[in-house]
Order: sequence, then structure tokens, then C-alpha cells
Amino acid sequence: MEQHQGSVVHLCGFENGQRIESRILEERIQQAVEKGCRVVEIEAFGQHGIGGRLWKGGDQKLHVKISGAPGQRVGSLGFPNSLIEVFGPCSDDVGWLNAGADIIIHGHATNGVANAMAQGKVYIAGNIGARGMTMTKHNPRFSPPELWVLGSAGDYFAEFMAGGVAVICGHEPQERANVLGFRPCVGMVGGKIFFRGPHKGYSKADARLIPIGDGDWRWLCENMQTFLPAIGKTELLETFSDREQWQVLKARGPHEKFSKARLSMAAFHQKVWDPELGKGGLVGDLVDFDRTTIPLITTGLMRRYVPVWENKKFASPCEASCPTGIPVHERWRLIREGRVDEAVDMALAYTPFPASVCGYLCPNPCMQSCTRLNARMPQLDISQLGKASIAAKLPEFPALSGKKIAIIGGGPAGISVAWQLRRKGHEAILYDMRPELGGKISAMIPRSRIPDEVIEAELARVREAIPHVFLHQRLEKSDIQEIREDFDFVVIASGTQKPRVLPIPGKEKLIPAIEFLQRSKAGEAKVGKRVLIIGAGNVGCDAATEAHRLGAEEILLIDIQAPLSFGKERQEAEAAGAKFKWPCFSKAVTEEGLELTTGEVIPADTIIISVGDLPELDFLPEGVETERGFIKVDGNFQTTDPKIFAIGDTVKLGLLTDAIGAGKKAAEKICDILSGKDVQGVSSRSRIDYGRVKLEYFDPRQSIFNGIESCASQCSSCGTCRDCGLCATVCPESAISRQSRDNGTGFEMVADPEKCIGCGFCAGACPCGVWDLAANEPIG
Amino acid sequence: MLANGTIVPSSLSVRDLLWQVKWDKEKCTLCGRCCAVCPVQAIELGVHRKRTIQIPSLAEIGPSTTSSNVYQVYHGIRQKTDPAYGCTGCEMCNLVCPNGAIAAERSEEVDKQRFHVNQGGQPRRRGGRRNAPDSSNLGTLDRIKFTRISMLTDPALDAGRHEFELRTLLGRVLPPEENIRLYRENGWIPPVREIYPLLIGSMSFGALSPNMWEGLQMGVAYLNEELGMPVRMCTGEGGCPPRLLRSRFLKYTILQIASGYFGWDEIIHALPEMKEDPCAIEIKYGQGAKPGDGGLLMWSKVNKLIAAIRGVPPGISLPSPPTHQTQYSIEESVAKMIQSMYMAWGFRVPVYPKISGTSTALAVLNNLTRNAYAGGLAIDGEDGGTGAAYAVSMDHMGHPIASNIRDCYLNLARLGKQNEVPLFAGGGVGKNGKLAANAAALIMLGASGVQVGKYIMQAAAGCVGSETDRCNVCNIGLCPKGITSQDPRLYRRLDPEKVAERLVDVYLSFDTELKKIVAPLGRSTSLPIGMSDALAIDDKDAADRLQIKYVV
Repeated sequence: MEQHQGSVVHLCGFENGQRIESRILEERIQQAVEKGCRVVEIEAFGQHGIGGRLWKGGDQKLHVKISGAPGQRVGSLGFPNSLIEVFGPCSDDVGWLNAGADIIIHGHATNGVANAMAQGKVYIAGNIGARGMTMTKHNPRFSPPELWVLGSAGDYFAEFMAGGVAVICGHEPQERANVLGFRPCVGMVGGKIFFRGPHKGYSKADARLIPIGDGDWRWLCENMQTFLPAIGKTELLETFSDREQWQVLKARGPHEKFSKARLSMAAFHQKVWDPELGKGGLVGDLVDFDRTTIPLITTGLMRRYVPVWENKKFASPCEASCPTGIPVHERWRLIREGRVDEAVDMALAYTPFPASVCGYLCPNPCMQSCTRLNARMPQLDISQLGKASIAAKLPEFPALSGKKIAIIGGGPAGISVAWQLRRKGHEAILYDMRPELGGKISAMIPRSRIPDEVIEAELARVREAIPHVFLHQRLEKSDIQEIREDFDFVVIASGTQKPRVLPIPGKEKLIPAIEFLQRSKAGEAKVGKRVLIIGAGNVGCDAATEAHRLGAEEILLIDIQAPLSFGKERQEAEAAGAKFKWPCFSKAVTEEGLELTTGEVIPADTIIISVGDLPELDFLPEGVETERGFIKVDGNFQTTDPKIFAIGDTVKLGLLTDAIGAGKKAAEKICDILSGKDVQGVSSRSRIDYGRVKLEYFDPRQSIFNGIESCASQCSSCGTCRDCGLCATVCPESAISRQSRDNGTGFEMVADPEKCIGCGFCAGACPCGVWDLAANEPIG
Repeated sequence: MLANGTIVPSSLSVRDLLWQVKWDKEKCTLCGRCCAVCPVQAIELGVHRKRTIQIPSLAEIGPSTTSSNVYQVYHGIRQKTDPAYGCTGCEMCNLVCPNGAIAAERSEEVDKQRFHVNQGGQPRRRGGRRNAPDSSNLGTLDRIKFTRISMLTDPALDAGRHEFELRTLLGRVLPPEENIRLYRENGWIPPVREIYPLLIGSMSFGALSPNMWEGLQMGVAYLNEELGMPVRMCTGEGGCPPRLLRSRFLKYTILQIASGYFGWDEIIHALPEMKEDPCAIEIKYGQGAKPGDGGLLMWSKVNKLIAAIRGVPPGISLPSPPTHQTQYSIEESVAKMIQSMYMAWGFRVPVYPKISGTSTALAVLNNLTRNAYAGGLAIDGEDGGTGAAYAVSMDHMGHPIASNIRDCYLNLARLGKQNEVPLFAGGGVGKNGKLAANAAALIMLGASGVQVGKYIMQAAAGCVGSETDRCNVCNIGLCPKGITSQDPRLYRRLDPEKVAERLVDVYLSFDTELKKIVAPLGRSTSLPIGMSDALAIDDKDAADRLQIKYVV
């Protein structure tokens, strides 16, 4: 290749009256350099990008001198060793993507100076337009790019500047008050800017003003001595040598960025919000409680729920369903505690017949309602405990109060009320027309159902407690009237004596079951071979059983509907071979037997009628109202005459336990009246919700109970704390403890509010359903 | 259920429930926190029996050696199946569980619980927004694209670099010649506020907890005073705390008057002591979440604080009827309400009505254009949220906001008044998290500004309610985040400062996003209100209906 080292070539951008295309001028410049030209003089006519890309001179210095009017992007993609000089002002984007050329503009330059410049230097001997020194880079392989501006920068200077150095000398700036233009340094991430003169702000998020350091000052002074001679302004050196006039903007590092100095919200709250509104902020004048933040899991007053130890608040299902109200679970508890005697004796507080009724005669509603049945687990067998109660010892009674109550009828109801009144210290005097105490228990229940000695033993206990018993007393209305005057109260417990009979021809041949059973018990009854019983209830079944005992061979019970008999009565009748038939409607009693409305005749030698009984109430004094043949009473068994109570079958036909319960309730009411207590409401505890009791703690396969201890061990103690301590163990916060009460005789499980979080685990785990989780008291 | 229990029609298994609590026995440490935190007591400690059959060795079993049963009890977390205790899916249990042992999962199939949420003949009520279980399908607003991206055509702006002043006008803007005439004649010129185009919609003190309300107000004050963003918040109908009425912060507040008129006597009493006028008065005629229905704040929520602010005794129920009692025709009711409200502040405060999205919106708008005082119209679309509404109202009543606002804007344009009566749109803005995109779409459809409520609760306070029926129990006062509860035990979980901080975050990020959308349109100072040539949608019918481009 031909070398023309040091030779000068002159190129003109205007030829033959026409402007040369930028492409042609570029070709000519490249060719000249390739041929060895190292000084290229160009008279420009708006050509684009003059002076860049001239690598063909290798490491030899190359000087491009531009006169006229160069187009945009002078020196773009410039190479090291190129010196590009424009002798006059210059259009946009001088030094665009400059990669090493030195560019000197002897005049102003318009927008975009040094945009995206990475190496080299751009010297401007005037002001620059908008967006100078934007997107500049500093590649660590090379020296950083430099932009020197004699005057001022235009708007949006140094946007996204990522490296290099800009020097704005502020000499004869376009705007006296601002040498950096509007909004400089937005998005600046690297490099620094030396400037001299006033500014009107810069992006503080991206850059910060730093004092000019010694090193920076040395660098500036040193390089100023290159810049000023290059643009022919050495006379300004002294003017520019006042360090005080210079400032430096430096890009913030990634960790120094911030949007705008502003208050923290806490400071705003404290310094702006509360002072304007007053202490406590928005509603500080309206609330008197703390509104500061609390955690999700709270204790004490801030708990949403609190555990409540509802020991004995609810009745166990057995107690609740027992008409007599015996707390059966308490008796099992005593047995679990080894206090068998107390468990046995306890029953006498509720019933004078714990053995006869609970052990033998009662269908045991307590067992039918046992919680265990809900889990298909066998209910506890109370009859075992009942039978053991034959040994219950008569408690000591209080001294007599002087109050006397007459009780008409010595059956289970009458004895119950007398028993309870005596327990409270009042004297009860029993009247009965029969020769012995006990009513139906002693007079009518078949021997197969209960051994005589059990009844005898319990009646003996009763007689001991209630010495004043007048038997064989058939009282008339006048007697009752007299008694009413002599006694504080009268309780009518005379039961039913009058069998209901059917208004059919031949009815006089019918034997009432009640009469039959009494005679049978007394050993006076006789039956034929074929016994027909009208009415297949439990009394009918008892009659059937007795008839069988007395030698009947064919026993048939008929009813107008499916028989209502159940339990032992039914079983024993069936065991005696009795048959049941329904529906049968009787038409007449004939010589052959019973004729039905269908015309069928059922042959029978003996026909017993057992369709219910009615009380005999001829003796009732005026003022005691009746209803459908029974005495009308209120919820406390008080009749329309406040001095007279009525209980048992005189009020409503029922179970023995209903009669005993009624006696207990009436006695309580009488005692309340006698002691002047508020006689309004007798509040009884409601039955515990079955769902609260946890049966998962018990073995579901245990179906046989061997003795009362075995029963007791499987009782869930519904609603009454069994003192197992499981709640204290389960509590995740260890908040529950057992605390003694009543001088050590009692105890209470207590949840410490300062520890408890209200999770309800105690309620979830409690086998007895004693713990509940309740909403905490409202606040706010 | 008990082993011999009977079933009733509403006996449901866990698998029938909408939210099913999954509990991991292995991970659980039985710390009790899940049960303590559950807002609806959906879970409890359960006692479980485990049976193992022990066989010494099969070969040895015989008359002398027998197998046996061993029962063991373990405790664990059990979900209740009574619909009254139905899990709401709020996941507070999961939030507090130290071991990640518990979580509520949504039913995989259509739950059966939904058929039993009307016990006692009482239809279901809830809070939240219109349930749209298929919320993965984006709503109309989400599907609108901004297709006009100026790169070389319009002056393309850089959202990160340019200075923006995104403001809108609230109040009646007079035509220039009219304005100049009145100015010269010293006549009355309707007050106009220059405000930020994203407003916090009406959520009352009462619907929101005190801490939530204070947090929002604090954040609004901060945005105004620290960041120079003129953000405004509407009180909703529940009065305004006396201290706020007497503070300079009142100017950031739009007071709402609605059919219950709660708290207005307290506002009247504060008039002589006000340092600043409120930003505006909003007259509420309807709400997007429960169009045509009113509200009832149950007596149990009317505690001392609420009562004091609303000017009522504590412990009474507060009904807001569906309609204003003394207003009989649109002409006279709108006219007299607007007049009365202007008078309260000497005609210095703009007054505008708010209605629920409805096919009758144009009738209201046309009336307003004839009323020289009307300061704008706010329309709340069907996707708006609420603290309490009948589910049927929320899910099935109302009008979508997009076409409603579009119709109104085009009608104004026909009348040549599109720059005079500003329209404000709300209802489901940001329901899928796309707050700025939804707001920009509404603005370009014709709204001067956008009202947002539910998004703010979600973003500023962590509301977990959703359109897939999660939580949404705002109506029963048991908000687990303390946003809508009046129980200090719940609302004290919420720190007003943190709410304010998050509100600021929301506005700053919204601002950036809005810039990202409007910068390529070359807008930096005036909002592109009604600039619908920038909009397109990939649904021909929607495009035709909204009169925007159809693109695929």
C-alpha cells in the first residue's frame, strides 16, 4: 500500500454545484487515510458523521480539520489517534458513540454532544444544547471519556450518564443563572461532573454534590492546561483557577440512591399527624383505651375467647333424665374414689326406694339417656348400683320443726314426699286406706319382678323414718277438710284405684287388672286356662305374667294399637308365653269370651281389663280443681288450693320414678314456702350438650360390666370435673392449674389469664365437657 | 358426628365444605395458635382414638396366646362442619402455625355448603366483591390494551425521566368564554379542585376499623404533605371524626352524605371551627356492590366510638335506606341536594352525586349537565366492594363500569360537555391486581378519575378477601386483619402507620405505572381522558360496544 505519511489532502463537500452525499465523502476520507494521508482538510456541506471510523491510520496520529458546516454526528464512532477539529459551531450529536477520538469544536454545539461516548475527549469552545453527555460509558479497559464545555450545558444534561467526566466551565453561559440546564443527571449512574457557576437543581436521587477534593482539583488544573490551549483560550486559565468556584457532581452508587428525603411514617405520625389532631390521633378524644398494636396471639384481656370451667353447671344426661333427679354420675365418682358406702347412701337423699325402684322396677331413663349410647357404647348399668343400695343406711334427720304435713296415700309418691319433708325436719303423717304401706310397689308388682325382701327392707327403712302412718284410713271429704285445717299442708298422693272399664255389654264380667294384681299378690286370685287381657301395656303384661304363674295356659293380650308395653314387663310376659294381637276393638263380653267389632269371638275363661286407671277423687275438698279425671296442679304440684299439693298418679299416670320425683319436688316447694324463700322459680340445671363429652378416652369394646367398680370406671362424668388434670396437661401455655377451695375440701381448675391464649384446647380435651370457650367480655 | 347421630338436611361432611382444613399430625406441635386465631371458630381440638391390633406372632396364636386390641388416644385439630362455623379460608391458622401444619384448601368441586348458607330463612350476606370463581378469566378492563405506543410519531416520553404532573379536575369546569365572562363580571365560578386521578373511594368509619381509617387518612396526609401528591379520600357514610373536621387534613377529604345522614350534625357543628374546606361533597345515591339496596350497621357494632362519630346513642342499629327519604324525582332531588350541600360551605366546595352503575346512568348524567352546579358524576360499577350486602345483590346486580362510563363520556361528547362534567369511575378497579392498567383504561374510556376501595384494603392492609369467596366476612365484624372490625381485639392487630406506609407505596408505584402507560402516548401533564384511540381489545363485541379498536 502506498504511504503518504504526513501529506495533506483537501476534500470539499461541494462539487460541480452539488453537495456530495455523505457516503461519497466518507469513501474519499477513508481512501485518503488508507493512502497515508494523516491530515485531512474537509470543507463540509452538512455531511453526516465526518471524522469517525478512521482506524486505517493505525497508531499514527491523524488530524481531521473541518470547516464549513458539518452535519450531525461529527466524529461518531471515532477511533483513537484521530483528532477531529471543527472550526466553527457544530450540529447535533458530536462525538456520538466516540470510541477514542479527540474532538474539538471551536464554537457552540447543539444537542446530544457526546451521547453514548465511551472513550476519547470532546472539547467545546462554547455552549452545548440539550442532552449532552448522556448515556456515556466508562469501559475499564480504557480511560474514561471526557467532555469539556467552555460555556454551559443545555437541558437534560448527563441523563443516564454511566461514566466519564464532564467539565462545564460556565464561561459566558447561555443562561447566567444555570450552567447545567433543566433537570440534569436524571438516571445518572456513573462518572462525575465538574462545573463552575450556578445551577438550578439536579436529580438528587441519582447524583450528589461533593466538595472538590485535592485529587480532583489537581486533575482539573492539569487537564485544563490541555483544554484551554486546544480551544485557544489560554487567557481564561487564571479565571478558571479559583478552586472555590468549582463544584463536583458525582453519580450515586447503587446503595446510595434515594428518591427524595422524606419523613418516615413514624416521624410523620409523631411530628405532623398527632400535633395537628391532638394526642391519640384521629379519635384520641373519643376513646379512652389503648389502640396500639397487639399480636395475633394474645393473652389476658386481649384474648377473643376465654376458657370457662363450668363444673356442674349442666346436669349429666342421667341426672337430667331421672324424674327423681338422682345425680348418678356423682355416685359413680364416689365409687371410683373408693367411697362405695357414700355412693350407696347418697341415693337416700333423693329416693326412699333406691333398691326397689332403681335396682328392679324402674325402666331407668338414666341408662336410656347415657352419653355412651351416642357412641354405640353400652350404657352403664345403674341397676347394679341400685341393687347394692339395699344396704343404704338411714341418715340422721334434723330435729322436727313443728310444721306438720298430712299426706294422703302411702304409695311411692306419698312416701317420697314424706321422706323428703322429714329430711328437711318437717313432720309428715301418712294416711292410707290399705293395710300396708307401699302402694303399688307392695300391692301390685308381680313377685317375679322384685324379691319381697327388698321391698320389705326398704319399707322398714321408711317406717323408721316416718313413724306416723295411719293405715286402713278411708278418708271422706269432711275428713280432708278437717285435716286441711289441722295441718300446714296436705299432699294428696292417693294414686289410682278406679280401673277404667269399657262401656260394652257384659262389662261387669271384666276383671280390672289392678284388682287382679292386688289379689294375686295377696294370694287370693284365680284364673281360667284361657286368659284374655284387654290392653297390652305394662300393667297388662304384669297381669299376663301373674296369670301364667297362677296356671293359665293360653294368654292373649289385645290392644287397639301396637302395644306400648316395654322392658322387663314385656319380656316377662313374653317369657310366660303370652301372645299379642292388635288392632282389636271390643264389642261385648259373652259367655264364650270377647266379641270384637269384626264379629270375631275370642274364647276366654278369664278376661282382665287393663286399659288404665283413674284416681278416685270423691274426697277432694272444694277448691281443688280437676281436669279429665286428674287433679290439676302447677309445675310444683301445687293444686288450685295453695295448701294442698297433689302428686303421683292422681295428677298424671307415670312411672314409679315420676311419682317419687314429684314427691321430691313438692316437698322442696313446701319447704321453700315454710322457710319463706322466694317461691317463684325452681331453676333446674339443663342437660349438658352431648357433644361436649369426649368418649374417645374409653374402650369401645368393653361391653360387660362386672360390678359397680367396672361401671364407675367407664363413666364419663358428664358435666362434672373428674379431676383428671388433662386440661392442665393439654394447655399449650401451661396456663391451667388446680387450686384448692373450701379449706381443701374442694378444688377448682383455673386458667391464668396472663398465660392463656384462648385456644380452647382445654375444652377440646376435657372428657367431661366441663370446660367451655366463651367470648371475652366486650371492650370498646 | 355422634356414632348414632341422625343427619339433618344441613349435616355436611368436611368434604362438602367450601374450605377444607388440612391438618398434618406429623408437623403439628399442638401449640393452640390456630384455634386461638380462627375468626369463626371453624377448628377445635379433637380427641381421636386409634386402635391397633396386636398379634404376638401368627404362628403362636392359639388357645394360650391371643391377639389383643390396644387403644391409644391422640389429640389433633378438627374442623367443624356446621355451616354456622364454616371455615372462610382466611388462612390465619396457616399464618400463625409455626410448623406449616395447617391450611385451608378450597373445595375441588362445587361445594355443598352454598346450599345451606340461608339457615333460618335468612339469605346469605357477606362482604367483599362480586364472586367470580373463574377470576382467572380477566375482566373487560384487564383485557383492554394500550395499543398506541408512540416511539417515533408523537413526542415519546420516558416515564422514568420526564416530569409528570398527572392531575385531574373535580368540579364543574365552565367553557373558557363563560369562565372569562364570569371572571370579568365578578360572577360565581364553580369551585374546581386539581387532584390526583386515583381517589380512595367511600369507605365509612364503621365499615372500616378506627385503625384502618386512621391509617388511610394518615397515608393520604403524607402523600399530600410529604410527596406533593394531591390524593383525596372519601369518608363514606359514617360521619367524620371531629378532630379531622377541625384539622387542615380536612382538605384532603371528600365528605359523603347518604340516605342515613349519619354524622352530619357533627359536621354541621364543626363548620364554624373548620380551618379548611373539605375537598368536595359526594352525595351517595347508590353503590356498585349492592345497587338498589341500602345498608344496616348492626347494633352490636355501634360501640361508643362509632356512635360518637355518627351522632347516635351506642347500641342501636343504624339503617341507611336504599333511597333518600325526602327526594321524589330526579330533577328536584339532585337539584336540592346539590344546592343544600353547596350552601354549607358558601359555594366554595364542589358537590357531585355518586350512583351505582346502571342502565339509567345517562338519565342522571343528562340531568346533571343541565344543572349548573353539578360538580361531576361518580359511577360505581358492579364489581365494587362492600362491607356487607346480600350475596344476590353483590353477585347479580349492577352494571359493568366500562360500558357505563363509556356511554356517559360519549354522551357528554355529543353535548360538547366532555370537559365540563368530570366523570369518576369505580367498581372492581384493580381486582386482578392491575390497578394502573384498569385506571388508565377507564380514563381513556372517558373517566376523569378513578375511585378505588377494595384494592386499597388488599394492598394497604392485607385484606385476604377474594372473588373466589375467601374470607369476605367483613359484615360480621370478625375481620381477621382488623380492617373492618370494631373490636379492639381485632383492629389493634392493624398498625395505622403501616397502613399509611403501604398506602404511600401503592400510590408511588401506581404513579410510576400510570406514567409507563401514558408516557408513550406523549402525555405528561394532561391526562388522556377519553383518548380511546389508544385503546383496543381482542373481543369484537366489546370493541364495538366501547367504540375502541378490535385487535387480535
